[in-house]
Amino acid sequence: MIIKSNNQIHNQGDVIPEGDGVSRDEAVAAALNGGKAQFEFRPETARLMGKNAWNAFLGILVVVLIWWSVAEAMMFLRGVPFPTPPETFHAFWQALMGADVHGEGIFAHTNASLQRWGQGYLIALVLGLTLGLAFGTMPRLHEVGMVSVYVFQMIPGLAWIPIAMLIFGLGETATVFIIVMTAIPPLVINTAGGIREVPEVYTRVARMSGKDDSALFMNVLLPAASLSIINGMRIGLANGWRVLIAAEMVVGVALGLGFSIYQSRYSLDFTASFVSIMVICMIGLTIEKLLFVSMENRVRNRLGLDRED
Amino acid sequence: MILASMRNVSKVFTDTRNGRGLVALNGIDLDIKEGEFLCLVGSSGCGKSTTLNLLAGFESPTRGDVSFKGGKVNGPSPERGVVFQEPSLYPWMSVLQNVMFSVQGDEGKERVAMEYLRMVGLDGFAASRPSDLSGGMKQRVAIARALAMGPDLLLMDEPFGSLDEQTRRKLDNEVLRLWKDGGKTVVFVTHNIEEALMLGTRIVLMSASPGRIEKEWTLEPGWPRDLSSPSMVMLKGVIIGMLQACACANGAAPARLVTIGE
Repeated sequence: MIIKSNNQIHNQGDVIPEGDGVSRDEAVAAALNGGKAQFEFRPETARLMGKNAWNAFLGILVVVLIWWSVAEAMMFLRGVPFPTPPETFHAFWQALMGADVHGEGIFAHTNASLQRWGQGYLIALVLGLTLGLAFGTMPRLHEVGMVSVYVFQMIPGLAWIPIAMLIFGLGETATVFIIVMTAIPPLVINTAGGIREVPEVYTRVARMSGKDDSALFMNVLLPAASLSIINGMRIGLANGWRVLIAAEMVVGVALGLGFSIYQSRYSLDFTASFVSIMVICMIGLTIEKLLFVSMENRVRNRLGLDRED
Repeated sequence: MILASMRNVSKVFTDTRNGRGLVALNGIDLDIKEGEFLCLVGSSGCGKSTTLNLLAGFESPTRGDVSFKGGKVNGPSPERGVVFQEPSLYPWMSVLQNVMFSVQGDEGKERVAMEYLRMVGLDGFAASRPSDLSGGMKQRVAIARALAMGPDLLLMDEPFGSLDEQTRRKLDNEVLRLWKDGGKTVVFVTHNIEEALMLGTRIVLMSASPGRIEKEWTLEPGWPRDLSSPSMVMLKGVIIGMLQACACANGAAPARLVTIGE
């Protein structure tokens, strides 16, 4: 264990030995009284986690309060049945217990959406990473190819509907197509960008060490760009998930969270739509926070980026 | 015996977007003799680093020839190890892996890497990450890495420019020791005249706008050098005087251009 401070390195010998068991305050006092430069104390992970959880809870509370006040205001000003948080939570609970949401169970909707999204994202991942890696390593290809990527990125989710219908007609394929098209641009942009921004000195070290293109790519470019690539994967995933509602307009089957949200236009069952919105948010956040944050932390750690403090 | 040479070498950088050009070097002739410790000094923008990059093979001359051991330099090679000014260790590799990455051949990489880490006194940090090391230690690893390639020529581009004075002096002495023990040829770029006087067997002064060789001095061997000796004080005065007469030191530093010609 090495601790860095003021450009000076001390190994374990200089660190106050009574490491793990001592609380932070005690260790600070001991270090000041003992004239030590560096010390260790019991990490306060539990307290930190508690603090983070509490802050997350406060954040959610803010969202609910905004929602609630908008709902009350709309009911008062416009007389519309804007679903309030308690109504929605109640309906959500009933949906979990098996009540129908726009003709199907919430699990059937969710399952259908997750499958389409998973298929679309998988295809986008393969295409996007391949294109991104190719663009990142070939400047000429990058200049030509990025034009179409930027054009695609500018097309809003809903605008893919006519295109998808013209190519695939109504059906699952059209839905998956829309998810693919919205998930690809951030994957390509971040992958290519990450590789292009690898410091030149990294490439030079590999070159002077006599490495060929493939060794340079695997040992230097890929690890150096990995954080950026993960970022692209994260944005692509979120894009694909958010476009569900647009994508499921062309699905042609009465199944899916996006379909269910859109369906309130005809059914006027707004609470059911809100339940679907809530499920979309919850799944999106879970995947983002659980999957990607831990993935990013692991990569950061492997890249030696997390060791400064 | 001449190890490397530059014949009438010019290097021009052009910025196509803004239609501007910079002559970084114009008609340089330089021979690097085997076993010497050559210090390239000059103010920033005088083409010291460009000269080094040409010798390393990272850049190719606009005109003229750069040759090494009688052959034309066509890109970087493990025969010419470079220690860069900026942090150049891969943060995702351990110290040992960083050095091993540059060891040539397939067998005994770890043994060779450890040997060079021991040489710079950092074998105890083989398993550490570069981020755990201080700036001076990182540069020592970079030196170990460059040496572990088994180069005939060691090119150092202001390797200690970003370190504090004490650390720099310590590392200067270490480089001197490695050079004396290993019999390598060193080209050492620095803007620090005292550093050049402390180290070099030859000092080449470059001047800017356009970059060219102004003057060179051969120094008597014998270290540690006494910078307070009359001859050293005089030489230092002469070099500083010439530096101040140079255009770029008078505030007329040329703009940095990013785009590389061709």
